[in-house]
Amino acid sequence: MSRVGLMPEEGGGSYKLLVCLLAGIGIIIAAAPMAIIVIMSFSAAETSSFPPSEFSLRWYETALTLFSSDESSGSQAVGAALSSSLLVGLVVMVLSVAACIPLAYALVRGQRRLRQSMELLFTLPLVFPLVMLGIAFLLIAESLRWELGIWRLIIPHLALVMPFVLRNCMSAMQSISRETEEAAISLGASPLRAGLDIVVPLMKPGILAGLIFAFIISFNEFTITFFMYTIDQSTLPIWMYSRTVSSLDPSTLALSVFIILIDLVMIIAIDKIIAGRSSLF
Amino acid sequence: MGIDLSIASVSKKFGQFEALKGIDLDIEKGSFVCLLGPSGCGKTTLLRIIAGFEKASAGQLLLGGNDISRLPPHKRDFGMVFQSLALFPHMSVAENIAYGLKLRGLSKLKRDDRVAELLEVISLPAIADRPVSALSGGQRQRVAIARALAVQPRLFLLDEPLSALDAQLRDAMQIELRQLQQQFGVTTILVTHDQTEAMMLADKLVVMKEGEICQQGAPQDIYRQPANAFTAEFLGASNILDASASDQGQVQLSGVDTVFRTDAPAGTALKLSVRAESVVLDRAPHLSSGPLGEVEFIRNLGASTEILVRTGVSTVRVRLPSRDSILQDLRVGEQVALQFDAESCVVFRADAA
Repeated sequence: MSRVGLMPEEGGGSYKLLVCLLAGIGIIIAAAPMAIIVIMSFSAAETSSFPPSEFSLRWYETALTLFSSDESSGSQAVGAALSSSLLVGLVVMVLSVAACIPLAYALVRGQRRLRQSMELLFTLPLVFPLVMLGIAFLLIAESLRWELGIWRLIIPHLALVMPFVLRNCMSAMQSISRETEEAAISLGASPLRAGLDIVVPLMKPGILAGLIFAFIISFNEFTITFFMYTIDQSTLPIWMYSRTVSSLDPSTLALSVFIILIDLVMIIAIDKIIAGRSSLF
Repeated sequence: MGIDLSIASVSKKFGQFEALKGIDLDIEKGSFVCLLGPSGCGKTTLLRIIAGFEKASAGQLLLGGNDISRLPPHKRDFGMVFQSLALFPHMSVAENIAYGLKLRGLSKLKRDDRVAELLEVISLPAIADRPVSALSGGQRQRVAIARALAVQPRLFLLDEPLSALDAQLRDAMQIELRQLQQQFGVTTILVTHDQTEAMMLADKLVVMKEGEICQQGAPQDIYRQPANAFTAEFLGASNILDASASDQGQVQLSGVDTVFRTDAPAGTALKLSVRAESVVLDRAPHLSSGPLGEVEFIRNLGASTEILVRTGVSTVRVRLPSRDSILQDLRVGEQVALQFDAESCVVFRADAA
């Protein structure tokens, strides 16, 4: 009796080849832009043409001088853009997690129907077109009477980041049994104390992953920020865009390499925290 | 010995469902009370009301005469062992046991002393610094008990804490738990669905069914004198036989008068409960006055042998010591007469609750 192969590889044999081919195309599409940026940043040429004919570190030097020079050529200086990017990222990170810890607790412990509808509500910014979100936030900000300062960037970033942070906190919260909390209460801890002593430490992996996600998303955000930035309140992606929109300046590529490195470190950190021992790196 | 905890007409509704229907129960100081019943009988709900994690819909809890019904759980000063044990996974064994002491503001030195003392009591002195994830099932069990006892609780509450253990370990832990309870002299309430566990641990057994107490009392008394068919059945492999009252006030079993008398009016449906080990087989049926039956099934359980005998209306379970001579050539299909040990038979009305 001949066996009928259930897997294509048992019948044909080209299955493995196909998978490798598709995976290869995927990797090339995903990694090629980054690879090109890294290669270009080491170019010695004055213009950004690929592939570069010679290599040097001159654009890294230029990138460094950008930070030290005081020139404010119409737009904000790169140092100010970087520091407000960092400030926005850090505030968004802290605030979103501070809001999501009690929220995740309430949703996981609360009624099931409430949880499902709230989860949907908090996921909306994910599916909403970013351009529309940007316009909406701009309309709101312009109709307000008072000056928002840096908060005109922080608030939209918070909305964007919340679904990710909430999801991480909730999945961590789901693994904490109610009995563990009740055990602390039965030993004399007030509900708040039990939350701080038991729930928060046990949620730690989710909280840390949430913190990093929040920072990465905020630090890389462009679309909404493009609507919201002002001369005084801008971020690094906006600065880089305005710098390259007229002519491609290789020094921004050198900066990009820094940003890629920062993101890479954070992604590895997320992987370590979430996957634990089965992490990739 | 005075009354420690008094539960007065406590009831609990979850929406339309009545989980507890007016429970009255007095628990004596220093006693070990077991709430026994099948799942869904309300025993865990009652324990959680005592602990304060659920609020009773009506009724009162009096602890030493004071109403604690409105007291939040963290102010009740009870120690509880949960079904899942609920050890704190991010703390070491010592930190787990010391947690309640820390909340009570004990100094580090006193805490360490008490932890060492308790680890000695549960005979695990060397595991203080281990994470709880590195413990075996029995060790976790002991740590959970030690954590609850460390705070010298007013009441010691246990929610089926032994159900996750394998049979052998459970047996050992039951003995240990009973010894610990006596050593600490703490009033204890344990919830279980395992009748052997309840029989072995309890000073007072409370049998529950559908949100009500069926029967309460000393385990031996309930075992010997179950008040109704449910209790009789729940407390072991009993035979519950349909019987009826005759005109002369005698209990009839499949039409045959027995020695038991009843004051129920003639024709009342009755139940006769008899333990499998209290039935004797007679191989000369024509000489016997007992009900007749046919051997249906024989199984050897080691020390004892179980025989199912099919009578006209029901199948009677008989348990004899395996070395009983009658067993040597007993065959399936053989006719036998059944004789019941009158001492251990209980008769009650079929509608008794």
